Amino acid sequence: MDAKLKETILNPIFKGNPITVLVLGICSSLAVTVTLKGALVMALSVIVVCGVSSLILSLLRNTIPSRVRIIVQLVVVAMMVILVDQVLKSFEATYAIDKQLSVYIGLIITNCIVMGRIEAFALGNKPWPSFLDGVANGAGYGLILIIVAFFRELLGSGTLFGVDILNWLGYVPNNLVILPPFALILLGCIVWVQRSIQKDLQEK
Amino acid sequence: MNTNSNTYTVIYTTIIVTLVAAILAFVSQGLKAKQEANEKADTISQMLTAAKFATKAELQKSGNTAVLAKYDEQIEQAFTVGTDGKKIADLERGKVFSPKDLKKQNYKIKDGSDAEIPVFIFKNGTTVVPVYGAGLWGPVWGYIAFEPGSTTIKGAYFDHESETAGLGAKIKDDPAFQAEFEGEKADFTTANVFDIVKGGAPKNPDGKSVTDNMIDAITGATMTSNGLDAAIDTWLGAYSAYFKGAVNPKTEEE
Repeated sequence: MDAKLKETILNPIFKGNPITVLVLGICSSLAVTVTLKGALVMALSVIVVCGVSSLILSLLRNTIPSRVRIIVQLVVVAMMVILVDQVLKSFEATYAIDKQLSVYIGLIITNCIVMGRIEAFALGNKPWPSFLDGVANGAGYGLILIIVAFFRELLGSGTLFGVDILNWLGYVPNNLVILPPFALILLGCIVWVQRSIQKDLQEK
Repeated sequence: MNTNSNTYTVIYTTIIVTLVAAILAFVSQGLKAKQEANEKADTISQMLTAAKFATKAELQKSGNTAVLAKYDEQIEQAFTVGTDGKKIADLERGKVFSPKDLKKQNYKIKDGSDAEIPVFIFKNGTTVVPVYGAGLWGPVWGYIAFEPGSTTIKGAYFDHESETAGLGAKIKDDPAFQAEFEGEKADFTTANVFDIVKGGAPKNPDGKSVTDNMIDAITGATMTSNGLDAAIDTWLGAYSAYFKGAVNPKTEEE
């Protein structure tokens, strides 16, 4: 694998993470991180939507009339989101999670990461790198989601993936952790940790 | 080819939109049966939870087939009644009311036209009826189970489409809220059949509620609590003629 492709995959995971560096997709990362299961399903959904939409639009990139390109992007992204939602609703294992995530699956359409990567990358690159870029950005988003959800489920419900971890020790779940503001505090902590490791992100 | 000409743009967008619409319609048709089966099992597990056969989490773990089997094993009869309390028709075996069906009946109850609302009676005598109404962001609905031949509430389960997580969503997620209903009595003699009271239900010095048909609302979720309160009043109000007849049949003859 050449260096450029490797950079395409690795950059969004840490150095150029869509949530902590570009500060995109904040809304849903606060809303769906109460449980790890929900965060995992959301992360996978965004990876699929981001990857496949980038692939499709990269394949179409030379045919799209530039005046209506945003509309064409929107149509393709919306189609992918609806497909993901329909598939999640059809399986017994994911039906309850889809219900729990409710509107947030549909709101992937408005997730700036998806449209942002298509506009910035997929329309100017070949299909394969575009697909990888979409998947990597989805994964970078998902990684933060899972980190936040790990702490919120552990401290807010005393469980991980619904399995009791702290409660049998007599831990009293902290209700603040369940509420969205705590996700913002956690997110701030993650940004703090990342900036102390990656000095070039610090503003002078 | 000039991809920026008007003709090209119009033709291009037409083709893309038609194609996407066709794909979505095709997938939606293909998955419809599975989605409806999931929704039905979910509805049944809500009724079983309200009637205290198992908790929602247990039912979810056991899978759709087990949920349907349990319902089939426990149900005695299911039928629809009118707001006059008279039985209209038996429901087909295994048929339940989806939230969409409830919505339809909700309109009918409200505008006074002939609603057909379902009653589910289990083998142990527990009677389960649905409620449906508007929460803050979307519909709220649920099931209330009554002890055999009485107006005492055995259990309740509520669901919602898009109430705020951590606040209004507690009607579904907080077992303590649903447990408040247990042992309360619906008062079918007034229009205020049941009350969810903001600021706490009035209590006697010994800590018990003054009246039997009141419970505490959810803190921070006034609109959802009010919506659920209205839903319960509307629906139990529609059932009041049925319950008056079923619980105390002699009074009507006298």
